[in-house]
Amino acid sequence: MPTEQNGPRCRPAPARSTLLLLAVALPWLLPAPAWAVQVHGGAEGYIVHQMAHIFLGAALLFLLLVLHRRPPGTGKPWRHLKLSLLLFLLWDIDTTLVHWLANRLPEHALLTTVGPSLVGDRILLPDSWVWYLYYAGSHDHLLCVPAIWFLVLSLKGLGASAASGGQQTSTAP
Amino acid sequence: MTATVSLPLLPVYLVDALGSSLMIVLAVAALIHVRRLQRLEPANFLWTFFFWLTLTLTALAFSRSFWHLLRYLFILGGHREIWQTIRPYSGGINTIAFCTAAVAIFYYQNTERVVASGRREAEALRLAHAELARANSALGQLNQTLEERVARRTEELQLSEAKFRRLFEASKDMILFCDGEGRVCDINDSGLELLGAAHRNEVIGQPFTSFFLSQEKGRHFRSEILSQGHVKEFECQLKGPADSQRYLMLTAVAMRNEAGEVQGCQVIAIDLSHFKKMTDQLVQSEKMTSVGQLAAGVAHEINTPLGIILGYTQLLAEDFADNPEVHETLAIIEKHTKICRRIVADLLKFSHPSAEQQMRPGDINRCLEEVLSIVEHTLNMDHIFIHRCLAADIPLVLFDPERLRQVFVNLLTNAHHAIGEEGIVGVWSRHHPERGEVEIIIGDTGKGIPPETMSRIFDPFFTTKGVGKGTGLGLSVSFGIINDHNGRIEAYSPPQDQELLAVDMHTAFHVHLPLATGEEEA
Repeated sequence: MPTEQNGPRCRPAPARSTLLLLAVALPWLLPAPAWAVQVHGGAEGYIVHQMAHIFLGAALLFLLLVLHRRPPGTGKPWRHLKLSLLLFLLWDIDTTLVHWLANRLPEHALLTTVGPSLVGDRILLPDSWVWYLYYAGSHDHLLCVPAIWFLVLSLKGLGASAASGGQQTSTAP
Repeated sequence: MTATVSLPLLPVYLVDALGSSLMIVLAVAALIHVRRLQRLEPANFLWTFFFWLTLTLTALAFSRSFWHLLRYLFILGGHREIWQTIRPYSGGINTIAFCTAAVAIFYYQNTERVVASGRREAEALRLAHAELARANSALGQLNQTLEERVARRTEELQLSEAKFRRLFEASKDMILFCDGEGRVCDINDSGLELLGAAHRNEVIGQPFTSFFLSQEKGRHFRSEILSQGHVKEFECQLKGPADSQRYLMLTAVAMRNEAGEVQGCQVIAIDLSHFKKMTDQLVQSEKMTSVGQLAAGVAHEINTPLGIILGYTQLLAEDFADNPEVHETLAIIEKHTKICRRIVADLLKFSHPSAEQQMRPGDINRCLEEVLSIVEHTLNMDHIFIHRCLAADIPLVLFDPERLRQVFVNLLTNAHHAIGEEGIVGVWSRHHPERGEVEIIIGDTGKGIPPETMSRIFDPFFTTKGVGKGTGLGLSVSFGIINDHNGRIEAYSPPQDQELLAVDMHTAFHVHLPLATGEEEA
């Protein structure tokens, strides 16, 4: 129980949560036109996707260089990993290129048959090596499947090495 | 217009569909392997990175393959318009997957730092561990060497200690150790026996000098130790058991610390009591022989004049038979001349006892009983009673009965005179087969013999009796007779035998006689 010796009790300051509530509510109380929301349309999706591909390619290249310069371990699993990254990088370049070329296809290039069947689908491309390259690059799974396959091999090898107390990758303190 | 070529899309579709399916399967396999790797070494940060890398690549593969396969399903299902609707979502999600994978890959830089830091720490820890192991190994070897050395030294010490302990305990001489204050620290069993102590605690902690019979001698011993550092052939008397005395020869060496201060001393004492006794006996024997020879010479010289005096006295007595006054005077002269002749005869017996001896094997107890039967009545008159303890199995002893009776009479008479009236005379006979002798003890409850006169009691003409009660030749003659029997006679006052002390004997004469052999008997 307070006594006079404790002195008079101070009045509590306004709660911080009250101030925050006022700050949030103020824009609603004072409405005005908003110009901040930008409309994204047209080629933006394509550009963003290509940028993502470039971003991923840069990341893969960076990792490949770092692993080449400062290899954290030696042995087959690490070689598989680097091969996997290289194949992913090639796939990324390939798909970026294919996307870029696909965006430049003539209007009449792609012919599709009507109906559910895909057997008869053909593509009409200008007779140029670039479009042959485009056609070949469309088989991108020939790169990404081996890439992930080598990733699996690498992880499997690293796991086997760790299970047998391997020396080349251990960084455990 | 540019020429065109028509290329089939079916290979593209097939590779796409098959590849997408394989991508999903392999992505799952990669995820499983990376999880296993992470579980095997959860503390490895590199595997954490690989987990996230694989996860993002798997997500990318899933996303891409899923949409591709979905596209074929919609087209083949005749819902191409639906695919056209969701196609942008497919691309968007794929874009997010690419970005996420790229971000995860770029994170490798930090991972590398963490891993490098971990490796450095691990290397430092490994080096520290190796150093610790080396130090531990060296310490172990040192410890092992030290333990072996300690064990070897301990064994040597134990052997040495056991050797000296055996020497200390088995020694028949007294060995003791004193501290700096001269108090006994340790003493062997021979020492305890010598000092008459039943238990070690009776001696431990006591000043060694307190056992000296003469305190002056003790102080002298102590001062010699402190000043000279050693004492050699120090003859002294210590208090033995039952107030007896022990003649000892001490050899002692002071033990000093590095500063040269006396920390204690070790003492070896040789018991010379028996040697001293034998020496005394030899001295006494030599003295007796000398005195005997002197007495024999004197007796021989006196005997002739005494015979002349006696003869002429007797002639004069016949001449003055009618004159009573003169006759009485001559009778007195004759009486005392005869006393003198008896003394001279005793002296001659003392000096040449073998001249008349008739040695033959006999029962010593019977001889004693004969003597006791004669003197017992006289003793009883003065209320002196005889305490007999005669052993029953005493073998024959070669002795001259007449002369041995004289010895016993002398000893019993001395006992009578020592008691005066009211007392006990104790008579013991014992057989000592280990020494081949019998022992006859005659003790009394009289006043005892003072120590200062003990050494003179066998001297001729030495007597403590009043005038007319003795000539001082009784013990001398007895000594000569026993000596002639190849025995020995010893006097103790007080006696040393507990049995004698138990019946309050104050003086005891021990007569030792050798047993008769078959040859002597023949």
